[in-house]
Amino acid sequence: MKEDALWYEAAAVVGITNALNVVGDGLPGDVLAPVAESSIGGEARAVLDEIRVFYGGEVPAPFLTLAADPPYLADFWGALRHAFDDQRLTRRLKEALAFAVSLTSRSRFGTALHLGQMKRLGVGERGLMEVLGVTQMFSSYTKIADTLQLESDMGDIAPVDHSPAPGGPVSEP
Amino acid sequence: MPTVRIRDASEYPEPARKLFELSKAWFGHDFASPPAMSRVMAWDPAFGGPHGRAMKRAMAPGEFTRAEKEMVAAVVSGVNACRY
Repeated sequence: MKEDALWYEAAAVVGITNALNVVGDGLPGDVLAPVAESSIGGEARAVLDEIRVFYGGEVPAPFLTLAADPPYLADFWGALRHAFDDQRLTRRLKEALAFAVSLTSRSRFGTALHLGQMKRLGVGERGLMEVLGVTQMFSSYTKIADTLQLESDMGDIAPVDHSPAPGGPVSEP
Repeated sequence: MPTVRIRDASEYPEPARKLFELSKAWFGHDFASPPAMSRVMAWDPAFGGPHGRAMKRAMAPGEFTRAEKEMVAAVVSGVNACRY
C-alpha cells in the first residue's frame, strides 16, 4: 500500500460512502418520500437499472430519493460507481472499507448495505469478523489517543510517493 | 500536547521493554523510541496485553491481507477524526 494512488482511491470510497449514508440514514421515506420507481423513466431509469445490476438486484433507497433530479442522480452515481469499481483496489476491499466507515459512523443503512455486498462478493464469516475486529480495535486506539491527546509519531513509517498526479509530467530525479 | 507525560522507555519495567521490541517487529520499523501509543498501552499490562492480542488477532492475514486491514484501520481512524 505504498503508492498514494491507493489512498486517493480509498479516500474516494470513504467520502462517497458517507454521502450515500447521509441520505440513507438522514432522509427516511416519511421525511422525504423517494420517487416511485414506476414513475421513473428516461435517463433516470437507465441509471437505476445500472445501479440494480451493480448491487446484485437491489436499488438502495437513497438512489430513489436522488431520482427526483435525474442529472444529479446520474453524476452522483457516476462518481460512486467509479469509486467502487475494481481499479487498483478491488471492489471487495472497497465494500469492506465502506462497511468499516458505515459501522464507525453508526450508519445503520450503510452498515447493512455494505455487509450485504461483502457477502455477495464472497467474503465469509471469518472475513466479516476480521473487518469487524479491525474496526472495533482501531475505534478503541483512536479514542485512547484522542483522550490523551497524543501527537502522531508514526508519520515517518510510510515512504513518500514522488510520482506525479495522473497524467502529469514525471520530474527528473 | 498530551494530557499525560508519556514516559521514556527506560522508565518501564523490563517485561514492558521486551514488548517495545516486539512492536518494532510488528511495525517493521526501527523507532528511535517506542511509539507513544505503545508506551501508553504498556502502562497497564492487564489492559494493554489482551487489547494488543485482540488487535493482532484482528490484523493477522486471513480473508483479508495485513495491508488491506491497515487500510481499514486507516479509514476507521479517519472517520473517528483521529490524527494520531
